[in-house]
Amino acid sequence: MNSGFRSTLQTAVAVTRMEWRLEWRQGHQLAAVGLFAVASVYVAFQSSDRQTATGAWTAMLWLVYLFSGFTAVGRLFDRERTATRRYLQWTVHPLGLMLGKLTHAAVTTTALTALVLGTFVLFLGWPEGSESAGHPGWLIGGAWLGGLSMTTTLVFVTAVASQVQTGGGALGAVLGLPLLLPQLILATRLTRGALDGTPVAMLGELPLFLAALSTGTSVIACILFPYIWRA
Amino acid sequence: MSSWNSLWKWGGVALLAYVILRGFSTPLQPGFIEASPSRLSPGSQDVALKAVGQPFADVNAEPSAYTLVLRSGTELIQAQLTSVSPHGVQARTEIPSTLPSPALDAFLFTPEAGTLFLGNAFFVEDAAVGSVPASLQVPPPEEIAPSLGFSFPYQPTIIESIRNLLWHVPMWFAMFFVMGIGFVASLAQLRTGDVRWDHRAEAAVRTGLVFGILGLATGSLWARFTWGAWWVSDPQLNGALVTVLLYSGYRVLRAAMGQDERVGRIAAVYNVFAFVMLVILLMVLPRYTESLHPGKDGNPGFNSYDLDNSLRAVFYPAVIGWGALCYWMYTLRLRMNRIEHRLLTR
Repeated sequence: MNSGFRSTLQTAVAVTRMEWRLEWRQGHQLAAVGLFAVASVYVAFQSSDRQTATGAWTAMLWLVYLFSGFTAVGRLFDRERTATRRYLQWTVHPLGLMLGKLTHAAVTTTALTALVLGTFVLFLGWPEGSESAGHPGWLIGGAWLGGLSMTTTLVFVTAVASQVQTGGGALGAVLGLPLLLPQLILATRLTRGALDGTPVAMLGELPLFLAALSTGTSVIACILFPYIWRA
Repeated sequence: MSSWNSLWKWGGVALLAYVILRGFSTPLQPGFIEASPSRLSPGSQDVALKAVGQPFADVNAEPSAYTLVLRSGTELIQAQLTSVSPHGVQARTEIPSTLPSPALDAFLFTPEAGTLFLGNAFFVEDAAVGSVPASLQVPPPEEIAPSLGFSFPYQPTIIESIRNLLWHVPMWFAMFFVMGIGFVASLAQLRTGDVRWDHRAEAAVRTGLVFGILGLATGSLWARFTWGAWWVSDPQLNGALVTVLLYSGYRVLRAAMGQDERVGRIAAVYNVFAFVMLVILLMVLPRYTESLHPGKDGNPGFNSYDLDNSLRAVFYPAVIGWGALCYWMYTLRLRMNRIEHRLLTR
């Protein structure tokens, strides 16, 4: 039992490292995500003047973030459509594979948060009438946590959608968007609160809900993934 | 066996017929909706109050049998009723120049319909803060128990739309019920890999989706009437919409997989996930956030229904009736799935 758990963890670490090594070698995929994010931010910047209301600021930030997240995570199981899948099915425990993919998604989210939030503030500045965010730490932390709950959900949805032979990418978006609504509602509320400087006591439960949602979806994903994998 | 099979179906249909007839024919208890003029000033004033629901008086009712009292703070002011009609009263009252509070609540004590109440019915301008002079005060009249017969309770702002309770709420119950069947079937499908469980899950989700959409539609209608908009941003409503979209995703997934032989297993995985999200979204999250929707914290609307026996006498049959109809629809769909499978694998 104990050694089984250890080997699962070792698998997870190995999968994460493999994912990153592959990402690094096929640099164009990483670059594609970055390009998408920066280009979207630039479109948002061009379509609004410097005086953006808090609501519009938050909406644009999360739209850019959401679709960048889709681009980053949406192809996570593409490799497993090919002969690699056969190989991994024989050598790797599905739980370890899932944990590895989730870890990879978490790392990607961290990088994506830094990129999107950084370029967004660089180009658009802060919302109308404010010199900086009310709680900068809460803004960054909230964006990261919101992104994390978004990508963990997307990992599972992508795993399901990748089972479909044709048009899996579009299916991932169709299945994923409604699932992401609760996370996005919580995350945008948190972002707006952090921008406005709402008292921390009133924001306190939003991160808890987000953390609970991402933990919940990750746990369900880990339980259910073996059934998809062996199908 | 077969007699029982038709018995529960006819029983369900009979219950629904009873619910629809009773739900629409039962009168609503009377309640005030409007007071005029809404603003008063000290001195002798003529006021009128309008009511809806079943009549609380005869056409030629004697005003002396009724008592109208205005309340400011905790002090009561007498009003002289000049005329009483089936759906309204007119009165003359002496507004003192000193009042504990400028907002006046109105109470009408009737011999048959109990007490009619309208909070903040009138607002008195130019009155100083102080006690009502003893000459204008009255002691509280004796409360008379209503003898209205079978009628639905009056709720401010909900008014006649209270009948929607017999549609909206049982439809969601029916959806939970049949989605629960789908969840269990999907779990069994994952354990055994038997395609017969997949037939059940598919039929359950398809039927549940119909009831979910009906629940959304009736809820939207109710929201328009009571909150003034077809849709508002509210945790309960968001959860309901996401749930329906989630199960629509189940149909999309199945359609996208087509004749793929793994469709049962993948769909079962998705269905288990969807049901867990349903429980989180509709039962857990709304309880921890503020919501306009009744039945949650901070809303006074729902608990009083539970105590009302006349509403209960129709609501429980409605729950059973809609549930039976939903289960019947599920069994029909299940039979279609089985026949389809047999034809395709022959």
